[in-house]
Amino acid sequence: MKDFAVFWGCTIQARFPFLEVSTRLVFERFGLPYRDIDGFTCCPEKSLVNNIDHGLWELTAARNIAMVEEMGLNLVSPCTGCVSNLATVNKELCHDEAKKGAVNSMLKEVGLEVGGHAALHHLVPFFHDEVGINAVRSRVVIPMKGMRVAIHYGCHMIRPSHSLNNDDPLEPVKFDRLVEALGCESVKHRTKMMCCGQGLDRVDQHENALHMARIKLRELSSLDIDAMVLCCPSCYLQFDNNQFLMEKDGEKFGIPILYFTELLGLAVGYGAEELGLMNHRVGVAPFLEKWERIGGEGSEVGGLESELEDIGVFGL
Amino acid sequence: MYLDYNLLEKCYKCGACYDLCPSCLNLPGYDPRKVIGDILADNYEHWLNSESIWQCLECHHCLEICYQHYGFENAMTALRTLASKRGLTPQQVKRGWDMFVRTGKLGEPQSSARKRLGLPQAAESGKDSFLKLFKIYQDSKGVKT
Ligand code: SF4
Ligand code: SF4
Repeated sequence: MKDFAVFWGCTIQARFPFLEVSTRLVFERFGLPYRDIDGFTCCPEKSLVNNIDHGLWELTAARNIAMVEEMGLNLVSPCTGCVSNLATVNKELCHDEAKKGAVNSMLKEVGLEVGGHAALHHLVPFFHDEVGINAVRSRVVIPMKGMRVAIHYGCHMIRPSHSLNNDDPLEPVKFDRLVEALGCESVKHRTKMMCCGQGLDRVDQHENALHMARIKLRELSSLDIDAMVLCCPSCYLQFDNNQFLMEKDGEKFGIPILYFTELLGLAVGYGAEELGLMNHRVGVAPFLEKWERIGGEGSEVGGLESELEDIGVFGL
Repeated sequence: MYLDYNLLEKCYKCGACYDLCPSCLNLPGYDPRKVIGDILADNYEHWLNSESIWQCLECHHCLEICYQHYGFENAMTALRTLASKRGLTPQQVKRGWDMFVRTGKLGEPQSSARKRLGLPQAAESGKDSFLKLFKIYQDSKGVKT
């Protein structure tokens, strides 16, 4: 596997550094060739920068991409917004030579050039496509059989598909498959593909943001779910922090929110504390308690090879 | 950026994506076709000051389901850009933008929290190179700084 730079993005590092902890731990456990590189800026955030100045949005993203290219790396990010923004600009430049030329004439002044050939991955499809379901399954220490989780994809993990091209944009499957490989049941629900609505908090419409969060959380409360699993700091903010705020005001949901790297980290044998789970605002204890109670019960890690020991024709 | 009025015209008559748009479904009063109708009638000014244009979540559902791969959101983005030009951005967008053009970031790593969590020192930000590039960009657009 080609070495890759991790694009942490502003939100994870400024607000949720514990998500960086679990991400690093799972990279370590899978022996992935990740690197921290100096010089990134904001991706930049689309709703904010693009709405005010499209050209600066493109130029800033192009600069980040060019840095990765110059070092001969690919890029992986645990932030959905970052990947979507970078990939969108990357595609725009690849399809418009004139624009790419204009961008490059400016980048040249800071010693960079964008070609558009680095792979830009979101962490979830990256685990599915590059690490592989089998590798994930075979690393599971305590299977999550019996755990019922609701997957929240998050819009920008998979859309716009003409830029990301990593799953079906309306009926994606990769996140489900990964979570199922850990032994969890991915519970079907009506609001599965609904946008989290956190964007409304960024445009001074807090009540509307809560309204959107409530719609999904209400459905999940009625479904006997052990946790919602997601992989986007903005969605995490919406469902952990805003759920906490609503609970403080007397609305009860009780839905633990787990980042994909945390769920994966638990399954491959890291402890809850080590992964930083006590930093969540909505407690994850109910999930952990149930898992401890039933974890591994009568469940096999599974996979064909687990039953094939010693029977290989070639003696392998 | 430009708006393709041909596509807008078709979009105005279509509305197929209302059933997928999270804001159409859940925020009373959010009605992209009304907005598009007003753009076509050259009567869009009143939208610039509205909450509606900021209620598009840029979730790209309309884009993905659209038979012309177009999407309501293009109209919304255009109006938000115009609104920003006239200084009508929501407070938080304005604050975020100011921080972005000053530092190249929307937030910085907190070294005390990193220490507590046992994280290595964060990589350096590209602030200086970004600011240099931003200046070049502004010069190219003829913006006085
Ligand atoms: S991008 Fe905006 S208009 Fe399109 S479906 Fe999403 S919220 Fe609705
Ligand atoms: S965005 Fe596309 S699908 Fe939606 S109303 Fe317009 S033309 Fe129809």
